[in-house]
Amino acid sequence: MQSRKPYLFLIVILSLILSSCAGGGGAGGNGKTATFIFTQEFDTLNPLYTNMWFSAITNQIWNCWAWTFDDQNNPIPVLVKEMPSATNGGISPDGKVITLALRDDIVWSDGKKITSEDFKFTFDMTMDPKNAVATTFPYDKITSLETPDAKTVVMTFAEPYAPWVGTLWHGIIPAHILQPVYEKDGTLDNAEWNRKPTVGCGPFVFKEWESGSFTRFVTNTKYWLDKPKLGEIFIRFVPDDAAQIAALVNGEGDLGTFFANSDVPSLEQAGVQVYRVYSGYNEGVYFYLHPEKSHPALRDVRVRKAIVMAIDRFSFAKQVLLDLTKPAVTDWDNMPYVDPSLQPYPFDPEGAKKLLDEAGWIDSNSDGTRDKDGVELVLKYGTTTREVRKNIQAVAQEQLAAVGIKVDLYNYESDQYFAGYNEGGPAAHGDLDMFQYSATPQFPDPDVADWLCNNIPSDDNPAGSNWSALCDTELDALFQLQATQVDFAARQQTFFTITKYIYDQVYWFGLWQDPDLWGVNKRLTNVKISGATPFFNIAEWDLVK
Amino acid sequence: MALTTDPPALIPQLITEDVEPPPLSLAQLTWRRFRRHRMAMLGVVILVLLILYSYGGALLVSETYANHNDLTIVLDAPTAAHPFGTDTTGRDILARTVYGGQISLLIGLTAVIVETLVGIFVGAIAGYYGGWVDSLLMRMTEAVLNIPQIFLLLVMAKFFGGKIPNLTIGGREFSGSVVVIILIIGMTSWPYLARIVRAEFLSIKEREFILAARATGTPTWEIIFKHILPNSIAPIVVSATLGVAGAITLEAYISFLGLGVRAPTATWGNMLEGAYQYIDQGAYWLWLFPGLLIVLIVLSINFLGDGLRDALDPRSRTV
Amino acid sequence: MTRYIIRRLLQAIPLLFLISIALFVLMQNVGDPLATMGGRTATRAADRERLTRQLGLDKPIYVQYLYWLIGNDWARIDLDGDGVAETQGTRRGALRGDFGTSLVNRGVPVTTVVWDRLPNTLLLMLTSELVIILGALVIGIYAALRQYSLLDNLVTALSFIGFSMPIFFIALAAIYIFSVYFKRWGLPSLPATGMFDPEYGKTPAQILVHMILPVASISIISLAAYSRYIRSTMLEVLGQDYIRTARSKGLPKREVIFIHALKNASLPIVTVVGLDIPLLLGGAIVTERIFAWPGMGRLFLDHLERGDTPVVMGIMMLIAFAVVIFQLITDITYAWLDPRIRYH
Repeated sequence: MQSRKPYLFLIVILSLILSSCAGGGGAGGNGKTATFIFTQEFDTLNPLYTNMWFSAITNQIWNCWAWTFDDQNNPIPVLVKEMPSATNGGISPDGKVITLALRDDIVWSDGKKITSEDFKFTFDMTMDPKNAVATTFPYDKITSLETPDAKTVVMTFAEPYAPWVGTLWHGIIPAHILQPVYEKDGTLDNAEWNRKPTVGCGPFVFKEWESGSFTRFVTNTKYWLDKPKLGEIFIRFVPDDAAQIAALVNGEGDLGTFFANSDVPSLEQAGVQVYRVYSGYNEGVYFYLHPEKSHPALRDVRVRKAIVMAIDRFSFAKQVLLDLTKPAVTDWDNMPYVDPSLQPYPFDPEGAKKLLDEAGWIDSNSDGTRDKDGVELVLKYGTTTREVRKNIQAVAQEQLAAVGIKVDLYNYESDQYFAGYNEGGPAAHGDLDMFQYSATPQFPDPDVADWLCNNIPSDDNPAGSNWSALCDTELDALFQLQATQVDFAARQQTFFTITKYIYDQVYWFGLWQDPDLWGVNKRLTNVKISGATPFFNIAEWDLVK
Repeated sequence: MALTTDPPALIPQLITEDVEPPPLSLAQLTWRRFRRHRMAMLGVVILVLLILYSYGGALLVSETYANHNDLTIVLDAPTAAHPFGTDTTGRDILARTVYGGQISLLIGLTAVIVETLVGIFVGAIAGYYGGWVDSLLMRMTEAVLNIPQIFLLLVMAKFFGGKIPNLTIGGREFSGSVVVIILIIGMTSWPYLARIVRAEFLSIKEREFILAARATGTPTWEIIFKHILPNSIAPIVVSATLGVAGAITLEAYISFLGLGVRAPTATWGNMLEGAYQYIDQGAYWLWLFPGLLIVLIVLSINFLGDGLRDALDPRSRTV
Repeated sequence: MTRYIIRRLLQAIPLLFLISIALFVLMQNVGDPLATMGGRTATRAADRERLTRQLGLDKPIYVQYLYWLIGNDWARIDLDGDGVAETQGTRRGALRGDFGTSLVNRGVPVTTVVWDRLPNTLLLMLTSELVIILGALVIGIYAALRQYSLLDNLVTALSFIGFSMPIFFIALAAIYIFSVYFKRWGLPSLPATGMFDPEYGKTPAQILVHMILPVASISIISLAAYSRYIRSTMLEVLGQDYIRTARSKGLPKREVIFIHALKNASLPIVTVVGLDIPLLLGGAIVTERIFAWPGMGRLFLDHLERGDTPVVMGIMMLIAFAVVIFQLITDITYAWLDPRIRYH
């Protein structure tokens, strides 16, 4: 024992030295350090290799998109001189060719000019089968990409591609740094730049990332737009929600996001400004509608409508979500694509019972659950393990029981819930009759692929993402049409028809609108947050002591 | 040696030990020692009260009521109608702690039954047969012991998660996740017990009465279960008792990490997990009551186990 | 002795194999690494199909295990999905020290991912272990000397209450009391999250201050078990003849307790500590998560959540290996301390 203690002490001191010499220097730049609290750590910073929202939103800090979106969701040119349009010749008359004219003053943080070569390199690397990138979308829509000169990028599509504004050029990678790496390794998968992108093109530049702990960004002196007012952005990873709130309340963090509505009161009480930003997410329930394998009751639109009307989404939003949101009507709420005449279905249990009676689902054996032709109206209702989702499930279960529909509840970890067809994902595999989550289109673009007939998962097409397994040819045609309508007004009209159609058929029903919540300490000023690119004006943010 | 008759005056200690009073049975002896352990007696009283609370309370409130959401009284402070207040969806916390207690106790007890059965089986076989059987079983035991239990629990909770359907037992519906939690706690806790049992078997099987039994051709299973096992019951009982407390705490941990028992089935663990975010919002009743109940039950079982250990351990003569 | 060590090490080989196979099978079914890849929407069909192939997840499980164990640099793999395996594999396998690359931190070797966190976990857990041992010694000895006194019962009860409370609750309560309310009341407050304050940088003083709350939370729950253990071994030793002899010879009480009794009581404690240390590598999953301490427990949790088999396997195998080694060291130390024990 006696001989053991000094030995332990020694190890403690040794690891203290080891951990502290790993880096993390003092305050950077002008001493104005803003601390952000993120509940998830990035997997990688390379924009090609990540699907993570927490990684993508840092692109406006250290990387650059061809254009960002302001808090009204209007595009702001960053790398291009102006947004391509039919009038300025950026979009060809047939809508298949889009030409980008790059600014002359754009440079990487090491002083090298950003040229069309970087765009070409980003495109090539995304499509290269040797790179295990997160997604090839939307570059796989491009049939050819040409660079007639250093400042021009010409993209040709097989057919007019409407969602280009919302989906293209979410981050670029520096060819002059990564080309040699690719040539040496044959892939970018292991590039050091993925975790240490010391050369970037945002108002800040990457400084340091310590696993599990923090990432630091400092002022980029070479930035061509407004010079940032903050000296350093320090992002700390705090996985626990309650600890995140504590850190915001006691002032350790200046900004946090992704907390629950129930946390809003204590944040506001502590003087933290809460922003509610729509980014296309609406919490809702999908039905499994496979023509053969689905529950027979769900194939009847009256039953689907009865289910919506039996659940009191209004009280839930008001009481449990603290009146900070309201029931969603469509999957596109708070975007300019929703038929303005649509209103949420009312909470009307009596009406729901009537609809179920009409549809022939009656409790013939008096067991408390409606049935028809010997089939009981028992539905499996699943979602992830998030607290608020468990709450709505509990409420819905009770309210549906009151109209004679029995639901069994299921909860899964998200990597199991969203697993694919072959990996036994319960939603993909059709194990659930009702499955709930909050999805977004390619915000701020309204495009989704979840309703297409050719996207139904099956043994032949295990990767299909139409988990409703619904093939409605009319709806399918409408979705095919909108994707090619480059003209905004025409596309908007198509979406009015789509939203009305889904609403009438109750293929999906909304529970609540799900804006992103941001908590910002009052000492951060000039803060604006947009849905698609939250940190679009981060260069203007300032700190008052 | 605990003596109950008055020792004759002036007889040296050596002789006192020789002149034994009529032998007391193990149970009597244990009870005598146990009774004097004040903490243990307190533990028993609390435990009985908690069991009465969970199972007796169920006679007064129905499970439907415990799962009833009332969105007009969300997060109400304790009142006469709801003595423990209401939760985030307006459910009565008192009723939920009653039914949650049943599930928590059920998990604690059945997980320990699983643990004990596996532990005894593995330990007994390994200890009795020895040789390569022993080697094989002990390697298995070590394999489980070599990974911290909470790691293994999380991996297994995800492995089985969502794969077991809801069950209806005696008219009550149980979430399949209850079975999952019971199974995985049982399946990751047994190695300690297996080692204890094996050690007991190793020492007892060489004793004369066992050798005698074997010589007279007593069947092996009878030797194992009728002769050796009863003689090694003391450490098993202690370990199992403490195991119940361990299982209840583990359930709370798994709940905290998001892999616990699923809604709407309440347990004290998942009630506490749901309340955890409200610690700063004045809604103390959300976490106070389930938290208090967990502390009480774990505490009382630990006291009980401690008392049992002192009472059953033949070396602890201090009492 | 050398023969004993070699035999034990040889025995450990099948054990580690057994563990690796069992864990690998379990990990195949704990979640889909491509489900959302940490994003807010499910992975697109075409990407799922491509990534499954590129990351080798389309191979049968025994092939995946084989690649994990002995690498795939002897095989050719198909990356572009044309059905022709033309690319030479590059993995060397766990047996040659290559535990693969993380699926989450694409391309980063598992050894790097784990190594980055190891010092932080060691720092937190060894400090806690020290606090626990010292605290338990004080409480345990005191309780043994004043058996069944009011203070013994009080200390015992308090340590039991600490032991009965779920740590997440203690931890969060501690955060609110010491870093939120204390600050609100204008008292000197403690930081709640992370290892240092960016205003001051990562200095040893900063790390120490940030360690107070997590160390206290971990210690509170383990103090009970350790102090009970020390109390009972002390009681046992104090009842031995040689201690009675020593006392009757008139040796000072202090000397009897701290030199003679404690020395003999510490033998079993060494065993407990020796067996605990490797398990500390796992860190305290819950504590690290709440206090945002960048250790191995959190690493495990984050990567388990996304079905990152290579990293989870790496962590578990490291711990299993450490347990084997430390068990051996403990046994040898024990034999060396106690001449009655001899290994053949």
